[in-house]
Amino acid sequence: MHGRKAYELVKEFASGEKGHLKIFNNELFERVIEECNEHHNALQSLIRKMQEEGLEVLTARTADHYGALIHHLSLIRNKRCLMAYVYNRADIIRDLAWKVGLLHELPREIQEKFSDSEEQYFKDHSKSLKSYMSQLSLNVNVDMVPPKDPYIKVRVLEDLGSGIILSDKSANFARHSMHFLKRTDAEQYIARGLMEELTS
Amino acid sequence: MANYYNIDDILTEEEFVPVVFHKSANGVIIDPSSETNSVEQGAKVELPLWLAQELYLRQAVSISVPACFNQKTRLEIQADAACVDLKSRSPFFYEFGCKIVPLVGDKTVEVLLLSAFKIRYKEILTKAYTAAYTATSQFLTLLTKEETNLYEAAQSSMAAFKKWRMGGPRLQRASVLGRKRKPIE
Repeated sequence: MHGRKAYELVKEFASGEKGHLKIFNNELFERVIEECNEHHNALQSLIRKMQEEGLEVLTARTADHYGALIHHLSLIRNKRCLMAYVYNRADIIRDLAWKVGLLHELPREIQEKFSDSEEQYFKDHSKSLKSYMSQLSLNVNVDMVPPKDPYIKVRVLEDLGSGIILSDKSANFARHSMHFLKRTDAEQYIARGLMEELTS
Repeated sequence: MANYYNIDDILTEEEFVPVVFHKSANGVIIDPSSETNSVEQGAKVELPLWLAQELYLRQAVSISVPACFNQKTRLEIQADAACVDLKSRSPFFYEFGCKIVPLVGDKTVEVLLLSAFKIRYKEILTKAYTAAYTATSQFLTLLTKEETNLYEAAQSSMAAFKKWRMGGPRLQRASVLGRKRKPIE
């Protein structure tokens, strides 16, 4: 049936949990594009046939016209599915840059799900965000939740070692150790699940 | 084309509708009963909505009411709308219904959708606010995609309210990362 493969592609995107990225389905994506080419060829040959019969392509309403129309509509449908797939993934990728981290701060297992062009897109988006933030000299991707106190208490959930230097101090962030940190520093580690906020 | 990129809208338009061809069409394989790759005039075929809709606008086909709005469903909804399994009828029952109405010119479908939604809406909100998760898993399988969204919205608003009242950590792991897996030791 026409447009079935494109439907499967969109369906696969929809079947995951909301806002979660799956591995880019290159195989199916290519298959849909191939199908588009098939439709295009069929469309062209039908139009050629009409021209050979000496019919006016724009006005004649023959069986060939309706055949060509169906191929045309299928093409448009496939295009829409492909566009929606890429567009919605790009949406999630931009979201990742804001919520989880820029460039190399993103966990490996998520980056593996990108296609090549998506990886480039993520990098470019991160870079423009970074340059914007350095122009403003302000971190715009922190304090998404309005702060009550500039400092918070956190517990480290995974061994981070002492290599991390925060804006006002450096400490040994061993697993299960507790720290009193600047909220803006801790925020990105919490977002990535490496620390948790403690409430008294 | 306001919903051009909308995933749910695309999925809704993949639902099948029964059509009758008024014109014949060459070079397409959409009629499974046909031996050649063409459709005869008067052929009865099931087409996805996106195709049927466009062909209808060009007066090439006429559309009849899909099976999910048949008499049996109507009777069940009249009996007790809250217990009808609408998801198996169509995962986008309401949206699909709204799209099909102008194409079939059957006003009773509108009435059916409205009465079904009114009763079920109340039920969904009550369940979302009060019941524990285990008690509702049976109920959730009956809901269409639109109703599931509504249910989740109601639940998250309830959770947000509770959190606001009780206090607790305000910063959390980004939900895009999914649930926490056990670290590999």
